[in-house]
Amino acid sequence: MLPPVFGVLFDGLAYGMLLFLLSVGQSVTLGMMNFINLAHCSFAMLGGYVTVVLMSSYGWPFFATLPCAFIAAALVSVGFERAFFRRLYRASDLDQVLLTIGIVFISVAVAAYIFGTEQRPLQLPAYLRSSLTFMGVRFAVYRLILIGLALLITLALVLGLDYTRFGARVRAAVDNERMARGLGIDVDRTFAITFALGSGLAGLGGALAIEIIGLDPSFALTYLVYVLIVVSVGGLGSISGSFAAAIVLGISDVAGKYYIPQLGAFLIYLVMIGLLMWRPLGLIGRR
Amino acid sequence: MIEPLLALEDVRAGYGSAVVLDGVSLALPERGGLAVLGRNGVGKTTLLLTIMGYTRVGRGRILWRGEDITQRPPHRRALAGIGWVAQEREVFPSLSVEENLTVAARGGRWNLAAVYDLFPRLAERRRNLGNQLSGGEQQMLAIARALMTNPALLLLDEPLEGLAPIVVEELAAAIRRMTSEGANAFILVEQHADIALALTQDALVLERGRVIHSGGSAELLADHAALDRLIGLRLAEAS
Repeated sequence: MLPPVFGVLFDGLAYGMLLFLLSVGQSVTLGMMNFINLAHCSFAMLGGYVTVVLMSSYGWPFFATLPCAFIAAALVSVGFERAFFRRLYRASDLDQVLLTIGIVFISVAVAAYIFGTEQRPLQLPAYLRSSLTFMGVRFAVYRLILIGLALLITLALVLGLDYTRFGARVRAAVDNERMARGLGIDVDRTFAITFALGSGLAGLGGALAIEIIGLDPSFALTYLVYVLIVVSVGGLGSISGSFAAAIVLGISDVAGKYYIPQLGAFLIYLVMIGLLMWRPLGLIGRR
Repeated sequence: MIEPLLALEDVRAGYGSAVVLDGVSLALPERGGLAVLGRNGVGKTTLLLTIMGYTRVGRGRILWRGEDITQRPPHRRALAGIGWVAQEREVFPSLSVEENLTVAARGGRWNLAAVYDLFPRLAERRRNLGNQLSGGEQQMLAIARALMTNPALLLLDEPLEGLAPIVVEELAAAIRRMTSEGANAFILVEQHADIALALTQDALVLERGRVIHSGGSAELLADHAALDRLIGLRLAEAS
């Protein structure tokens, strides 16, 4: 028999994977493109509502809605990028923060207007709500799938960045934007695609998050905090750093709520402070 | 009259409000090399950056095969066939040697096999990262990387600067080999005036952002008095 700590570790890992999906795009835009996009979780929330609407109003199966959540968030984000964000790539941090936090407030209001302020639950099929018992510890099927999916995506991201020509172009543009342009690389387009991919993953994360943390219009603000914690603890622009930070923070949050309920949601902040004092640039910091 | 590959017409260019080049005109044929000489800080690098599209052009036009490209962004000039080897080499540190070569490669006669044949040392270091190379190897990589885009015009910004004499010889030989086949035009900005003049057909001397001399390279190389007067170079000292 396994002790209950394994159940806590498992739930923490699943929560961490969710945080990773929500934050990896933010880490890339902040660390590589030097753009502070506080509206990142608004795109995640959009993905969540796409899944809710497709399932409840059109009767789509859950898994069929996930690619739509990804694509919707990616497309809308690239629209914002082309229309607003790219004008501020060279602007001050404050300008970027003001623009994107404004978009967050607008997205919260629009979501409340269209979908109401209450939680929107999902009607998942029975097999996704079931759990497997292994050596006395219950493993929820949904969380198993979530972990597997996140691991696959991480692998695809790391391999894609390291071994594809597009990945090499992203790294070249980050290393030396001027030289990349001088060789004929369309840096604007490369960054726009990267940005869309990151937002798409956030949209996917938003859709997967509903079953675990719920979905209401405040999502865009509430989870912005967690995403920023993951990005800063992980190290800007580092995919593996975000991955490690998301796991550590996910597990400590779940463990904190389970073992020290009095401390509850505060443990994640203590862990953040401790990790940043230990490594101010993040677990795997670039700069 | 044959249309030039690249033409600058009375170009004034600089950075922000500072003017570095003024009234520069030149016409470059489809083949052959142009040496750009002059003392430090006279605008040689700015001339190349202006051709690439990195400066602010206040007056005049830049024509590529007769088409006005004055307002075209740098990456589209590169795609049109201008290859750039920057003064600081600027290899991508987080890409391997081979990735540096392939990241922007476009089809043509310069492929991996051809550039490895020209610079065998790069083949030995193909798995190394860009920041693990010596200065000479970085310069070879910068040239090879530009060749991989198969440019119609290659801009070389002081490719021999700061290298050990033996590496200078090796690189000069490679440039000679690369250009003697005459497949593309090139502009060579260089402090080593003797080497640059030996590699090119035409020469141009800049002084305070203006063209003060334009003519054949061989004539200028033979005219020591003119060289001394134009760029303060005494070949006896330099060689």
